[in-house]
Amino acid sequence: MTDALIQDPRPLLAVLVSLVASGFIVASYRSPNIREAWTLLAAVVKFAVVASMLPRVLEGTVFEWTVIELVSGVPFVLRADALGILFAVLASGLWIITSLYSIGYMRGNNETNQTRYFAAFAVSLSATMGIAFAGNLVTIFVFYELLSIATYPLVAHDETDEARSAGRKYLAYTLFGGGVLVLAGTVLVYWLTGTVSFTAGGIDELAAADPGLAMLAFFLLAIGFGVKAGIMPLHQWLPEAMVAPTPVSGLLHAVAVVKSGAFGVSRVVLDVFGPELVFDLSLPFGFSAGLVLSTIGAITLTAASLIALRKDHLKQRLAYSTVSQLSYIVLGLGLFGWYGLVGALLHIPAHAFMKLTLFFCAGNIHVSTHTDYISEMAGIGKRMPLTMGAFTVASLGMAGIPLVAGFVSKYYMLLGGIQMGAELTPVAYYLVGALLLSGVLNIAYFWPVIYTAFFEAEEDHDAKPLVDFRIGGESRSTLGTGEHNAGDDVVTDGRHADGDVVTDGRHAADDVVTDGRHAADDVVTDGRHADGDVVTDGRHAADDVATDGGREDDESDAESVDTPTDETGVVRPDFSPADRDFSEPAARVDTGEYAVDQSPSDADVPFGVGHGEAVETTNHDERSSDHDADQDGGVGGHHGTDEGHGGDHHGGPPAGGWRHIQGVDVFRGHESSWFTLGPILTAMSLAVLLGVIPYELGFLELIELVVDTRLPAEVMRP
Amino acid sequence: MSEILLPLAVAVPIVAATLPIAAGRRFDAIGWPVAALTTTAVVAMAGTVAREVYGTGPFDHELGGYAPPIGIELVADEFSAAVFLLVALVSAATLVFARVVGPHRNTFYSAYLLLTGGLVGVSLTGDLFNLFVFLEIVGLTTYALIAADRSGVSAYASLKYLVVGTVGASLYLTGVGYVFLATGTLNMADVSTQLQAVGYTDPLVQTGYALIAVGFALKMALFPVHTWQPDAYQRAPDAVTTVVAALVSTVSAYALLRVSYSVFTVDFLAANDAITTGILVVSGVSILAGSALAAMQSDLKRMFAYSSVAQFGLIAATVGIATETALLGGIVHLIGHGLLKFGLFLGIGLLAAGYGTRHVADLASLARDAPIAAGSLAVLSLALVGIPPSIGFLGKWYVALGAVQAGGTTGGIAGVAIAAVVFVSTLFTLAYVARVLERLYFAGVDRSIPVVHDIGAVPDGGRSGRLPVAPLVVLVVTAIAAVGLGFAGAGFESLLDPFLTEVFT
Amino acid sequence: MMPISAVDGTTAVGVLASTTAFDVITTRHAYVAFALLLCTGLYVLIASPNLVKKIIGLNLFQTAIFLLFVTSGYVEGGSIPIVYPDAAGGPYVSPLPHVIVLTAIVVGVSLTAVGLALCLRIYDEYGTLRVDTLRELLREEGTLPAGSEAGGRTSDANGGESRE
Repeated sequence: MTDALIQDPRPLLAVLVSLVASGFIVASYRSPNIREAWTLLAAVVKFAVVASMLPRVLEGTVFEWTVIELVSGVPFVLRADALGILFAVLASGLWIITSLYSIGYMRGNNETNQTRYFAAFAVSLSATMGIAFAGNLVTIFVFYELLSIATYPLVAHDETDEARSAGRKYLAYTLFGGGVLVLAGTVLVYWLTGTVSFTAGGIDELAAADPGLAMLAFFLLAIGFGVKAGIMPLHQWLPEAMVAPTPVSGLLHAVAVVKSGAFGVSRVVLDVFGPELVFDLSLPFGFSAGLVLSTIGAITLTAASLIALRKDHLKQRLAYSTVSQLSYIVLGLGLFGWYGLVGALLHIPAHAFMKLTLFFCAGNIHVSTHTDYISEMAGIGKRMPLTMGAFTVASLGMAGIPLVAGFVSKYYMLLGGIQMGAELTPVAYYLVGALLLSGVLNIAYFWPVIYTAFFEAEEDHDAKPLVDFRIGGESRSTLGTGEHNAGDDVVTDGRHADGDVVTDGRHAADDVVTDGRHAADDVVTDGRHADGDVVTDGRHAADDVATDGGREDDESDAESVDTPTDETGVVRPDFSPADRDFSEPAARVDTGEYAVDQSPSDADVPFGVGHGEAVETTNHDERSSDHDADQDGGVGGHHGTDEGHGGDHHGGPPAGGWRHIQGVDVFRGHESSWFTLGPILTAMSLAVLLGVIPYELGFLELIELVVDTRLPAEVMRP
Repeated sequence: MSEILLPLAVAVPIVAATLPIAAGRRFDAIGWPVAALTTTAVVAMAGTVAREVYGTGPFDHELGGYAPPIGIELVADEFSAAVFLLVALVSAATLVFARVVGPHRNTFYSAYLLLTGGLVGVSLTGDLFNLFVFLEIVGLTTYALIAADRSGVSAYASLKYLVVGTVGASLYLTGVGYVFLATGTLNMADVSTQLQAVGYTDPLVQTGYALIAVGFALKMALFPVHTWQPDAYQRAPDAVTTVVAALVSTVSAYALLRVSYSVFTVDFLAANDAITTGILVVSGVSILAGSALAAMQSDLKRMFAYSSVAQFGLIAATVGIATETALLGGIVHLIGHGLLKFGLFLGIGLLAAGYGTRHVADLASLARDAPIAAGSLAVLSLALVGIPPSIGFLGKWYVALGAVQAGGTTGGIAGVAIAAVVFVSTLFTLAYVARVLERLYFAGVDRSIPVVHDIGAVPDGGRSGRLPVAPLVVLVVTAIAAVGLGFAGAGFESLLDPFLTEVFT
Repeated sequence: MMPISAVDGTTAVGVLASTTAFDVITTRHAYVAFALLLCTGLYVLIASPNLVKKIIGLNLFQTAIFLLFVTSGYVEGGSIPIVYPDAAGGPYVSPLPHVIVLTAIVVGVSLTAVGLALCLRIYDEYGTLRVDTLRELLREEGTLPAGSEAGGRTSDANGGESRE
């Protein structure tokens, strides 16, 4: 590094700001507005502290502050260098946006335990700053563990069984990755070299150490950090953590946790081992440590994208998309060359902006319409134009369309891969292929969402072939009007309850159909869910919540008319060949005992809207008054024609179809509160800006500085 | 001048133990004030001794003026001063809790003071047989204290402990006998020189060490001779569990480290691969089995009793690893674990006093009602897991580093295996800690609905629903200390360095 | 092993005797007795179902150890360790092992006392001193969960002895 090392307490200050604020947040638990003000104040101050260091870091200065010597030879030191500032600016800036969104989301959903939520958020951000500014492996390990502990309350926030189980899994995976693997790797590095300090270009003694042990240390560290970055097969915690509130998912998936995992891997590659050593540590079959890392990234990339194709729950799809996109970064870090590294590091902010937008959109849809499943979102573009518009822009970016951030980072990585393939090893060409394939897959799993939202109508909606394994799709209605719509006859087994093909298991109605529609339901008029108290076989444990409603209407419409039920409640259609129309599949004998109903697969998402919590849907103090709850679209949900569903949530359009917001109203934010809409639009704009002017935004310049100082001379920027 | 403090620190509590009984004829509740006064005096003595040792250097005192190796000496070096300080502080702090919750009889406080005297004696003595005597004093008083609530079931648990503990102490005595046969002396420093002459591979010496080690294993409750511990900890009154869990096995572990490193020395351990491998295997199994058994428990005190099995396995492993860093880790973890277990048992004792919680299930959403206690418990248990920054992490770091160093250089499979076990032990500890924390914070239960508890031993003076303030303050201070000491790694190293260099040269 | 002959505090050396088993029994029978007593005491401790008998076994165990110390202190032709002003006293017997044994006897007595007191308490409350009966009673009163403490496993048939 060419630069001055300055002793300055600002890195420590950045860490402590939100730690102190969390105390105030807890103290002001009685006054929500003051509490939220503390959060916003802390976010702004933190960003200001970090941004104040940015100009000088761009010139090459490094700010350092040693707190204390932890063990001999290992100080507890915070150092703001270019790489750290990159992550810190991203995290602190996005925290401001996320805080605003959290306010809208928490109040919109009337969540419980908000003080705990905001306090844990603040502490998590403090730990994230610590990770960003850590100056050696032990310090980053300390904050890494603290991040796991601080984000656990956020994952288990709902205090339901699913939330607890997700929290347990989260802790087990991340503390395994951190506490076991990273610690082992750190100890190994310390033993091999006597130091754990981050040195640009790598710790020199490691190059001289025994290559087998160095390789072991590298993989321990890379996989340890990679657990949080969601590399397969240790990614399982990510989809399960979707049970958390959406701002947390946004935080986990865009800002703090997964990016800190990716950041950790980048520190290991760039500052502990150095790109050259990573490339040189060789394994049989022409592989090297770096190439293996990239290959793991490529495999994760592809596999996660394929899994995402089949997910009907929007947040789950986004979760797997995150797993896939994070692997871009891991892949790029293994490429030895200027372009690859720049691309990988640029993907950190690029993906952050885009994914945050996507998650915020998903959360906004949840809060405003209680819809979680893509198949229920037919025509929702009418109801939430700005949200779905932002979603579109962000998904285009994820696929790598120019003018949005994802294109720039992918471009660099493709260049890096090709360059490495041409000059060093042909294996890199496969990695390039994986990147290109992934672009196609991204389009494949994002396009249906956009298409469904904008180009389908509630009455006539195509089931998606890949989600349902039926080639050719089918049309059905997501409206529960009670009448038969054309093409509805095939729905008896269409989407679910077909034992083997339920992908996201929201069958339900099949199990509860006894008198034609819902078990013991006297007031069903639009057949959306079974009566509040008894809907549950095979679906939800909580009785008052039919979380994904809108399911039954399809088959129930058919069955209510045709299917005879015997005394025991088993649906037994008439199979006599005489008057059957063989152009459609036969009706199903439904005993309510299908294995898939009793043991939902992981494609089944028992959590969802309001699961386990009674969510009051009609008080929004913060919402603007134009957001009326009586008409369908409001958060009040679709109580229109349903009675007796006090706290129920059911997704999908209300009886008359989505409320159409058109014309100038689109820009007045009638679709939801500005607390949620504003951050969405901001994040989307940032994604676009990063795609159009990456230099002027500062990110690309910072990244080029990072890479320039860490590559050996012969591979410098061409 | 301060060398007179050493025998005083042993004698004062023992003599003061007679006061509650004697004065008890006149006054009724004289036990607690006497105990409090005495333990405070012991704390002051410990502080002075520590300041002198870490400032100037180790010193000793010859009892009765008889010079060693004939006479018995009390030694204060860097290691024993640290343990002495821990013993003094924990004994004093537990009294704050005992005032609220524990038995209030004068005889209880007599036994308590005798225990304190015995513990100080174990940590300060420099003579092998004297160590046996003090170990037995500690043991006897512990058996009496565990049965202090006068119920049959605690008497049974105490009797089990008595039998196992006596067998352990007797095996230790046999080992000392063998060593005496080999060297003719009982003074620790002298034995160490004599053993060099005898030779470290002499079967007499090896058997002596083996008997001593097994004896200590029984006292420390390593797997598979740990079965007395869960019952004893569970059935004892809460205040007794707190002091016993924090101190009694701790001083036995101290004695093991002392005998292994100061008497038999590193050269003996290096010369006897079979012994070190055996120790590593037993420790490794203790770590795994202890954590696994802890994760299966539903009673809180039992859970943390099994946890002790695992943690002492970690400390015993440092004997098997036998490097400087490992010994440092063993000492740091010894002190740290004592502190942590004190805090943990104090915390669950407090919650039991206030809310009648005995099992993990009883803790449902208790964090809402008792945020401070729950928060301190969370901090202490995370420190036990080894989440940095905490003293638990510090000990684990040093032990892991030592294990990697030993495994890497000598390349033995046992060395590598124990390193792996040390790393994985984080997850194992998490298995039972996470259950408690999850239940405390995320159970989703509304506590305003009253639930009927089967409260075992009803504590006197505990008001249901509110926690007594003074012990709560002690709990919070302990939690803060556990985290604060996690930053003191460099401090520990510099303070213990003279001792370590002496042992390893 | 030969007995220690040290008398003036200087070093004593333990010599490993390489003799046959017969030799050992005839010449060092005390050590053999020590080993036998040790094992007998341990056996009584483990196998006996009665608590008081267990304590007796414990005593036997400890007595064996006393025997070890005392035997090791034997000096052929030694005289009591009092140095007279005039004399060459010949080889003195070291008082150290005897002192050790005395102390250990005291310790053993106190342990026995405490142990018996605990037995009294148990008898007062449960009316039995048999370990197996005790376990039944404890299980009935709910202190011991049915099965082992690990929750739900059926107990093994070994009885209480394996616990100690």
